[in-house]
Amino acid sequence: MTHQRLTSRRMAIALLLVFVIAALFLTRLVDVQVVRASELQEQSEAIRTTQETVWASRGSIVDSFGNDLAVDVDRYDISADPSVAGDFRRDGETISLESAMADIAQLTGAVAEELVYAVRQDPESRFTYLVKGVSPETRLALRELGIPWLQIDLVRERTYPFGAVAGNITGMLGTDRPLAGVELDWDECLAAHNGVATYQRGADGVRLPGTTTTVEAPVHGGDVVLTLDSDLQWYVLQQLADHGSRLGAESGSAMVVRVKDGHILAAADWPTFDPNDFSQTPTSNTGARIFSSPYEPGSIMKAIGVAMLIDAGYTYAEDRLVAPGFYEVYSGRYIKNYSVAQDTQLTTAGVLQTSSNTGMSVLADRMPAATATRYFEKFGFGEITAVDFLGESQGVVNSGDSLDVVTRYNQFFGQGISVTAAQMAGSYQTLANDGVRLPLRLVDGCRSIDGQWVSAPSAEPVTVVSPSAAQQVVRSLETIVSQGPLRNTLSIPGYRVAAKTGTAEIADATGYGDERVISLAGMAPAEDPEYVVLVSFTKPQTSRVSSAAAPAFHDVMSHVLKHYRVAPSSVPAVLPPVTW
Amino acid sequence: MTAAVMTSSRRPRATPAISRSATRPAQATSAPKLRYIVVTLVGIFAILGGQLLLSISVSSGAYEISSLKSEMRSSQQSLQIVGEEIGALNAPDTLASLAASMGMVEDNNPAYLRVSDGIVLGEALPADPSEQAGIVGVTAGTEAPVISPIITDVSAALSAQAVVEMSAEDALAQALSVEAEAQEGSIQTAMVVTTTAPTTFGGSIPSPSTR
Repeated sequence: MTHQRLTSRRMAIALLLVFVIAALFLTRLVDVQVVRASELQEQSEAIRTTQETVWASRGSIVDSFGNDLAVDVDRYDISADPSVAGDFRRDGETISLESAMADIAQLTGAVAEELVYAVRQDPESRFTYLVKGVSPETRLALRELGIPWLQIDLVRERTYPFGAVAGNITGMLGTDRPLAGVELDWDECLAAHNGVATYQRGADGVRLPGTTTTVEAPVHGGDVVLTLDSDLQWYVLQQLADHGSRLGAESGSAMVVRVKDGHILAAADWPTFDPNDFSQTPTSNTGARIFSSPYEPGSIMKAIGVAMLIDAGYTYAEDRLVAPGFYEVYSGRYIKNYSVAQDTQLTTAGVLQTSSNTGMSVLADRMPAATATRYFEKFGFGEITAVDFLGESQGVVNSGDSLDVVTRYNQFFGQGISVTAAQMAGSYQTLANDGVRLPLRLVDGCRSIDGQWVSAPSAEPVTVVSPSAAQQVVRSLETIVSQGPLRNTLSIPGYRVAAKTGTAEIADATGYGDERVISLAGMAPAEDPEYVVLVSFTKPQTSRVSSAAAPAFHDVMSHVLKHYRVAPSSVPAVLPPVTW
Repeated sequence: MTAAVMTSSRRPRATPAISRSATRPAQATSAPKLRYIVVTLVGIFAILGGQLLLSISVSSGAYEISSLKSEMRSSQQSLQIVGEEIGALNAPDTLASLAASMGMVEDNNPAYLRVSDGIVLGEALPADPSEQAGIVGVTAGTEAPVISPIITDVSAALSAQAVVEMSAEDALAQALSVEAEAQEGSIQTAMVVTTTAPTTFGGSIPSPSTR
């Protein structure tokens, strides 16, 4: 039995040991699998897992034909690891650092010596940029070089394929945020949010299948669709630059509006800027003056004044009046004409044709100041347009009570009231559209990445004057093109055109000075207007009269008619007499 | 435990009897046993081998996916490169300068031929090439734009082509003027500028007149 007892004790000890060891393992197991499980798992995943940015594209800004005006493209930043950069072997031959850099410089337009210096100046460091933002073509060529220490990283870059054509409208993107124009105003639609994805990879760097997890999905931006026609916009800008530089003007603006729906087809400012490269551009040229710079428009306002007077029943196109040489506002204060110093027998149409200040004053005297103010406001002056462009100015309409006597008359010929070119184009759209002012439209809407269309906010049409009043004014303006002194410059063979000239004095600290804003606004074909064109030049030097703006207006208008295939006029004009 | 020990101590006595009486059956059962072992082992190896093959194919699939993805990336990149080139060629500036280099001139006095009754609408006057303004810079304070090499390439190709086609054009113009003389007295139709058909770059770029 002693033997048996011994055996069973040994067995007991062995069992105990087994239990103890099992218990140790069990504790460890519980510790690893339960207590520290999540922590350990995280550690192991961290070793295997790599994170990557999933690039999202900022939406494009496109014109009404779908041409990209602003678009995101792939670009590449080229960098190197100086600690390993040096000579390397390719196809059995040794390539020196210098010759590699020379190759890179040749492909990217960089300076080879600078690239060598970038790598040599701190040989200890692990990273230095060589060239930023190279094109995909260049990247492919760089990869062909087979330089082992070269690193190429994808970045997204904003480009404006048409350059300066619509820079004033699209605005531009700074290094990390939009700076102006539609880019900034419609950022909510355009903005993209990069996503994050993780994946696990083996020791050789190859991604393990089925391990990619999108931590954060990329959100692509939507496209903003403009009403602009970039071909027309380009042409208009060319005319502004061509005529503007001949006039020695400080700046120029032009707008083309489609009468039937208020769409802005071209809104050009000269000089403008290239949103691809605006670092050297003075800030005065990086905006849209057409919306943001109010000015006193001058005589082109007379058409609006006459429309108001006809609508309110104070006159009509054939109405006869005597325009005095001088119009006495009050004792000792006279309004005079540009050239005519004697009394003239004019009709209301003739007042517009000859742009008679005194004749206009005779008519303006018939309407109470408060009524005039109300009409100006109905025409859209004194409030921003429906476009609601970023930084748009509302201009100034002095209200009836605060008007001094002279300004009350001046407003009718476009002094003492300040408007933007966009507002002025909108008021001519009203005249062209039988007295109904349609909200101007520049941004049509936003198309999100899933195809959803969100139309840009708009406003209700406003009936400003009667169709008869609007048509009488258009007929009167036609006399300017067909019979006035500028007929040779303004008329377009085959078409009936209605237009009004304006020369406004620019007020400075000491009052009205020598500088002028010259402009022309008009519409065609006059029998049923389809397009409104407004052209203005600020501070022309070689000629300071409105006729100097006529060639630019003629060129833009005839191009518009040709561009949109407007059939020549077939209805003969029946125009009001201008004198009696 | 003691029971187990007792059993084992008893076993040697019983064994001979069993072995004696079951010699033949033991031989009969060893063959199926071996079969089981072989089947089991083959099964295990088959499973292991299968799994190995599967994981090899999965991982080679990963390499294939990886290479296809990089091919897709490079295709997307070529698409982008071509897209950017088209964008540059599509720019109004480029179209205008290419049109000018092909000898096209702008006529701001358009006339239309109404097909239904053959009536010419508008006054068709020939364009005056001397009035053509060149393309002017529109920015202030920025460097002159860098013209993409593709545009200069196209320009060069076009002007070379224009020289060749010029003679053909002269012949056509001559033929037309002869024809016009012959038809004198009939409807006075205006000759609008004639140009050779524009190169359309594979149809991807609309010509200036159609846009």
